[in-house]
Amino acid sequence: MEIIATYGTAMVILAVIFGLYMTWGIGANDLANAMGTSVGAGAITVKQAICIAIIFEFMGAVLAGGHVTSTIRKGIIDPSGIAANPEILVYGMLASLLAAALWLMIASTRGWPVSTTHSIIGALIGFALVGIGPEAVKWSKVGSVVASWVISPAIGGTIAFLLVMSTRKLIFDTDQPLRNAKKYAPAYIFMVGFMISLVTLFKGLKHLNVDLTVLQSFAVASIIGAMAAALGWYFIRNIKEDIGTNRETHFASVEKVFSPMMLFTACAMAFAHGSNDVANGIGPLAAVVSIVGSGGEVMQESDLPVWILLLGGGGIVLGLITLGYRVMLTVGKKITELTPSRGFCAELAAATTVVLASRTGLPVSTTHILVGSVLGVGLARGIGALDLRVVGNIIISWVVTLPAGAVMAMLIFFTLKGIFG
Amino acid sequence: MIMRSTTPLSGLFRRSPFKPIQEHMRAVFSCICLVPPLFDAIYAKDKGQTRNLSRQISELETEADKIKSTFRLNMPTSLLMPVDRKDLLGLISDQDSIADTAEAISQIVTFRDMIVPDKLKSHLDELLEGTMEVTSEAKEMIEQLDELLEVGFGGREMARVTEMIAGVRRSEHNIDAILHRARRALFEIEAELDPVSVMYWYKILELLGNISDQSENMADRVLLFLSK
Repeated sequence: MEIIATYGTAMVILAVIFGLYMTWGIGANDLANAMGTSVGAGAITVKQAICIAIIFEFMGAVLAGGHVTSTIRKGIIDPSGIAANPEILVYGMLASLLAAALWLMIASTRGWPVSTTHSIIGALIGFALVGIGPEAVKWSKVGSVVASWVISPAIGGTIAFLLVMSTRKLIFDTDQPLRNAKKYAPAYIFMVGFMISLVTLFKGLKHLNVDLTVLQSFAVASIIGAMAAALGWYFIRNIKEDIGTNRETHFASVEKVFSPMMLFTACAMAFAHGSNDVANGIGPLAAVVSIVGSGGEVMQESDLPVWILLLGGGGIVLGLITLGYRVMLTVGKKITELTPSRGFCAELAAATTVVLASRTGLPVSTTHILVGSVLGVGLARGIGALDLRVVGNIIISWVVTLPAGAVMAMLIFFTLKGIFG
Repeated sequence: MIMRSTTPLSGLFRRSPFKPIQEHMRAVFSCICLVPPLFDAIYAKDKGQTRNLSRQISELETEADKIKSTFRLNMPTSLLMPVDRKDLLGLISDQDSIADTAEAISQIVTFRDMIVPDKLKSHLDELLEGTMEVTSEAKEMIEQLDELLEVGFGGREMARVTEMIAGVRRSEHNIDAILHRARRALFEIEAELDPVSVMYWYKILELLGNISDQSENMADRVLLFLSK
């Protein structure tokens, strides 16, 4: 206890620095990847993407980011074994943050597609193994993380597949694709707004002390969805048929309808990313703050302070502005196989899956879900060619990330213990 | 600190396999477009022009060959594609044999000074016209592959392409009839010509017929995409 009393402030400062480092890394790389689809499909410019990301990532983090945090904090490890030595948990959280951030940085420079979510989980497990003991790791929860490698991309893929099928049925395979595209576009945009706001309202606003009944939530979500749909309708109402391009089908004109629609999925994607991935950086930070704040109480239940969410959102935005734009530029230039309509389906499916998963508290990876969604579009025979070897590499990186994060967290844990101990 | 992007997503996408197929078909078609002018030069007994056109055909054929081999070499086995890999390779090989046939014709007329018998001219013109028609139909069909991808190889777009396939088939059938008449005409004047020339005229007629057969093969391959 006395260690916490002596070094409490220093620990919180360290936690803030490490937390910022981690969220900066997330913003610089992960978010840029998530938004790359919209840029790649040519629907939005890099500048627009950055503006959208800043606003909606921040909103996602603050409005809906609280839930996953508690899973990161308490779900994976059980700290009851060290209730008498709370400083161990503080070292552990600091070590986990730094290990995950470093691993993210190493992998990024090497070009390995690692998941930020799984780096932090791996680091937490690593610390728990040496700091508390193997029995402190909730192995069943770890099992559910492993299961999420399969389940979350599968859900994303299924939704994307169904969306592609619906655009085909309602728009492309009809006598007048353009007219139908304009007709159904607001409905799709409504879905984006409705789904994101509904899931946020249901559980996300607890820490802002907003309490709505189910019916009220539905009403508010419908209003937000309708507002988005109206805005979308305003954007696309003036699109004219381009007679010169592809003769009878006018698919090129139809794609022009989907371009502004992708603006909305880009917002949703940034929001979803903020709500899910911000937790990676701030979960351990929140744990340190809560332990130090309570004078060494490990198991206490406390609400997540809003300033921590703001800090996390700020770190991500900072990462995006300093380096993320460059990543986005690369992704944007390299992805050429996605037309706006296919990109729309992939992103809407991914955003839906991420928000749903972050509400159930399952720590999922945005990138992996997006990969699943893109595969779903491909399976609907919507994409020219997907490289399955890249999918294989991604899966390997998921598996490798857990032990890598764990080993680094162990090393940093012992270092910190030596310094403060 | 320079941080390279992990960009697993951008690596996920490979170039659409239809783009090189279309590019290749355009090269093949421009090769075929030079065949009628080649025969005009033979009619006019303009040896310089014949050689010149024949060289151009050969250059275009080489270009098509390059596109074909890059395509074959750059298609990893680990791709998830909307159509069967084997059908795609078969299609490009059919396309390529059209260019090969055009080159074979152009070579015959340069290593021999072929003199066109008057009675064969009208048949040859008809045949060339038919060949142009069937190959341009085949090219149009290939240009539709992007739209087919957009609708997942089904629905209205499929009906449209099925109609185009039927069109190629009809043209090929039409050419068979023309070919038969041309052979008959050649048979009737056989005695007046020198035997070796007759042999080569039969050869040229056969090669021209091959072009439409190969176009029909292409149509059959595209039909396989639809029936998957």
